[in-house]
Amino acid sequence: MKKIGSILLATTLALTLTACGSSNSSANQEVTPSGSGSTGSAKKPIEITYWYSWGDKIAENNENLVKMFNESQDEVIVKAEYQGSYADQHSKAQAAFAAGNAPEVWQNEIASVGIFAESGMTQELTAFVEKDQMDMKDFIPGLMGNSYVNDKLYALPYLRSTPILYLNRTMIKEAGLDPAGPKNWQEFEEYARKLTIKDQRYGISMPIDIWYYEGFVRQSGGTMISEDGKSAAFNNATGIDPVKLWLKMKDEGIMNIGTTDDAGAQAKTDFHNQRSAMMFSSTADLTNNMKVAEEQGFELGTTFMPANHTYGVPTGGANLVMTSGLSPEKQEAAWKFIKWMTSKEQTIYASSYTGYLPSRVSAVESDEMKKLYEEKPLFKVAVDQLEYAGPRPMQKVYPEIAKIIKDEILRAVVDSSITAEAAVSEAAKKADALLNK
Amino acid sequence: MTVWSRLRPYVMVAPSIAVFSIFFIYPIFYMIFLSFYNWDFINPVKEFVGFNNFVEMFQNSEFLQVLTNSLNYTILSVSLSIVISLGLAMWLNREGAWYGFVQGALFSPHIISLVSVSLVWMWLMDPKFGLLNAILEMFGMQKLDWLSSPDSSLLSLVLVAVWKGVGYNALIFIAGLQSIPKDMYEASALDEANRWRTFYKITLPMLSPTLFFLIIINLIGSFQVFETIAIMTNGGPVNSTNTLVFYIYEYGFRYFKIGYASAAGVVLLLVVGLLTLVYFKLLSRRVHYQ
Repeated sequence: MKKIGSILLATTLALTLTACGSSNSSANQEVTPSGSGSTGSAKKPIEITYWYSWGDKIAENNENLVKMFNESQDEVIVKAEYQGSYADQHSKAQAAFAAGNAPEVWQNEIASVGIFAESGMTQELTAFVEKDQMDMKDFIPGLMGNSYVNDKLYALPYLRSTPILYLNRTMIKEAGLDPAGPKNWQEFEEYARKLTIKDQRYGISMPIDIWYYEGFVRQSGGTMISEDGKSAAFNNATGIDPVKLWLKMKDEGIMNIGTTDDAGAQAKTDFHNQRSAMMFSSTADLTNNMKVAEEQGFELGTTFMPANHTYGVPTGGANLVMTSGLSPEKQEAAWKFIKWMTSKEQTIYASSYTGYLPSRVSAVESDEMKKLYEEKPLFKVAVDQLEYAGPRPMQKVYPEIAKIIKDEILRAVVDSSITAEAAVSEAAKKADALLNK
Repeated sequence: MTVWSRLRPYVMVAPSIAVFSIFFIYPIFYMIFLSFYNWDFINPVKEFVGFNNFVEMFQNSEFLQVLTNSLNYTILSVSLSIVISLGLAMWLNREGAWYGFVQGALFSPHIISLVSVSLVWMWLMDPKFGLLNAILEMFGMQKLDWLSSPDSSLLSLVLVAVWKGVGYNALIFIAGLQSIPKDMYEASALDEANRWRTFYKITLPMLSPTLFFLIIINLIGSFQVFETIAIMTNGGPVNSTNTLVFYIYEYGFRYFKIGYASAAGVVLLLVVGLLTLVYFKLLSRRVHYQ
């Protein structure tokens, strides 16, 4: 009797252990060292730590770049460490900073650049840029909105993205629609309607996500927070129309709105398994989606997020920052690394490896990228869409406001007695209270 | 020599007192201190705000919902878990390979990491493609929303907690049951007492120290639930599963409002402290120790 019990326990244990062991991320492939000349100084190299977020292709990209950097010179050794999502990385960095062992270089999700700069955790970079006479105009202007805090430079664009609309072109062609995809909200609704097959697939599957909401508000000609940062600016048609559209499409059964915490992942799974014909997602997912589409045997398409009065998207992704209060040697080392990571060659590498945007004008115009755009035109959509892109709000209380907005919209999704107007005005009321404190 | 013999006990306990002070006493007082300030963890300046954090917290409808959620979760999961595991323990408290196997199977959730458990349950509870709904459908019953509706999300988490905790509770109960002297049952059999009476008059009183212990650790554990929420729901949908510890985490480490989070921590400390106190004061008198 005891034996059976212990065999059972041992089996369960073994299973759990194997399950944990197999999830190690694979890294360090396709390393091509770039020869940017090493100086022959006999000094002991300075070691710095670099934190990054996200797994799969994005992790590989980070690890590869760090390896290339370490091989390209012998003054600085960078140790790259994976830290989960942006939220995970931010809370860990905060705790590490309080304890005095923060990484020298890390990532700020762009809406968080303000928080960390204002609380004094990150180093102002102006002096470094001036010393090296770095050409700031080469960074794509649409990506610089989240680099300056109170007119001072704190962060440089690194892995940057915008949301785009992914399409299952195979389904679109079957439905007899234009494979280019919907251009405005009316067409978007029409596409979703025609692509829906009851009990089998939705036109589009999506989570209630602040990032997409910011896009829809922008498309309606609005902004999230007023110019002076003291009040919510979405409590009008520009903020209500998006919610109205979503609720209408959801009630008609042509849009599937996930309410669980993993709704974002669910939307991706739905699209990958061809249970939905369209999805909003980051450009960063492009290479991964292309791989899945090929495996699943459907033709992938991408296009701008549809326009209401105009096209519009928020930018996203991460900027690189340096921790404040480092010794001059460490500062030099960290700056060297940041400068290398954000330069033309590396942004080309990162962009073609993942689908993130190239952050420099010179990179977009480079032969490598031009060739890529010719071979794989899907890569170009996000770059073209940048024309309509804007920064994300950087107020200290914005993460809290983002959650309030999500909750209030979700409330309307699960409870049909709550109107779009009521949900948005409630969210705005709470946001105003936070902004005025 | 006499000095040493007097000092010795203090020297001996010094390491554990030091650890206790550094990791328990100091943080508690620092938390209480911080609850009167506005601070973002980093800025050298802490702004004193008196009781503002507490006032703000109790005026915040979200916080009141969080408190209600915590209470509902605790009451439901503890009572269900205790009742079910006591029933199971009574059934399993006998010889035989089958009972040993069931006992092992029931206990196995206890040793699996809560993170893996949460991930697996998320798949099981998927409203469209999950196993649970497939089973319900097979028996012609209506599909449930599980985690995707605010009405059922907290109950779904209670289900996971009960499933995870029942095996351990049952094991402790079985140990308790086995320590009850057999002659008492023989005596009651001679008196022809029925099963309910035997249970009420002998089993329950003799089991009361075990019951008392389990209720307290379950209560405290439930009030501090965090992992399942962080992984399965992040407090949603619409705050329906946001409980006190997760709320503290959210404010401290996502919104960087450590003062406000500390104030919520003080409330947690008071609630858990009060629960323990009430139990020791009221119920310990009714607990039968041999």
